[in-house]
Amino acid sequence: MPASQDIKGIIRRVAEIIIDELKLEDVTADTFQPDMDLVDELGIDSMDLATIALVLQDEYRVTIDEDDYPKLKTIRLISEYIKEKLSVIH
Amino acid sequence: MQVNSIIISESNQPKFSDLLAHPDVKERWEKVRKYFFLRESTYDMSNRCNIRCDGCYYYEGEKQFAKEVDDVEAWRGLMRAEKARGITYVVLAGAEPSLVPELLEVCYQEMPLGSIATNGFKKIPESVGYKLHISVWGNDETSLRIRNARNLLKKQIENYENDPRAVFVYTFTRENIEEVKEVTECLVAHHCKLTFNVFSAPVGYSGNLRHDEASLRRTRQTMIELLHQYPDNILFSVYNAVAHTHKKGLHELYRCSYPRQNPSQDIGLGRSFRQYRTDLNWDRSVACCVPDTDCEDCRHYAAGSAVVTARLYRHANGLATFKSWLDYVDTYLAVWVMGYEKGENLCEDMIEPP
Repeated sequence: MPASQDIKGIIRRVAEIIIDELKLEDVTADTFQPDMDLVDELGIDSMDLATIALVLQDEYRVTIDEDDYPKLKTIRLISEYIKEKLSVIH
Repeated sequence: MQVNSIIISESNQPKFSDLLAHPDVKERWEKVRKYFFLRESTYDMSNRCNIRCDGCYYYEGEKQFAKEVDDVEAWRGLMRAEKARGITYVVLAGAEPSLVPELLEVCYQEMPLGSIATNGFKKIPESVGYKLHISVWGNDETSLRIRNARNLLKKQIENYENDPRAVFVYTFTRENIEEVKEVTECLVAHHCKLTFNVFSAPVGYSGNLRHDEASLRRTRQTMIELLHQYPDNILFSVYNAVAHTHKKGLHELYRCSYPRQNPSQDIGLGRSFRQYRTDLNWDRSVACCVPDTDCEDCRHYAAGSAVVTARLYRHANGLATFKSWLDYVDTYLAVWVMGYEKGENLCEDMIEPP
């Protein structure tokens, strides 16, 4: 189970997963800006995002529809999306 | 062997980590994901060709009338600009790139990953280190009839036997399904690699090459038989055969992600892909990997390489489906990337596209 399901906890966990999956070396969960545009500023593409979505699905047991990928452009937007999905489940 | 029906449809949505817990799956996933950085665009290099084929995509629509830019520095500038906007892979195509080797050289100098679609009649210099896709539409008799090219296969083999860049791309039409066996035997005898394509009609095409359901079924069966017969030479998988011979086209099955069918510019091909004409301009409304193909009929190997690969998420819905997707991506990379070696296919079952 994820450590924390409040928005701060989710943001941190999403950052950790992105760092881990994309093997980012010059950023940590503490320094990762939650509002950084992952596409424009970090250069991630659809395959990266699909991979991250699959890992997040495992972590939070929510469904991330591929039609929703374009909305998920920052860590904050991803985290808010997950939080909303979790609120429906609980 | 009868291979007429799809036998497995999965939708049990396992955890992704459970899929990756299988060592063979994990190993293949780690192998293919290293290439997720590839961002492609395509470029028409010349409006000339040294042969003229029935059903040719290039000589449909407006692109054939674009002015040719033969200034190598203009092409160098384009490649640098493409790199700057994140493109990492170029596909050099129409009408016949081998006629402008000086442009191919400058593209390769600026962008080291890419491929060239060529009819193989004129040899491309070895200094151009791209993958070469050599189009084969049947035996020499058929090539003479529908491509007006004499001894084409013989010439193609002379030019590219033992060339690690070369992949022969056999396009199945409604009329040449049986011929593939003799062509494959010939290519295998010369140690050539080949893959399969399915003729996809250009817009408005009403000729005899267009497939129907019966010819697609026969094509699928033939593809799989040959794949099992020549696994070391044929770069393909069972799922490739299923995806490209399904009665539904690629767009209906997977929803095409090229700009022509995809209004979103947020991420992926809809954001980055361009199809440049010979005048170095592009038009988003017609941009796809094989422009002027009838999207309803599109089963093109180049389209599938992007469109099927992009649907990672939906293929993670079961072990066999995910293995099939990995086979597909492994095949795509072996066909398109210099130095990438295809592994043994992980799934021999026919999986319904999710």
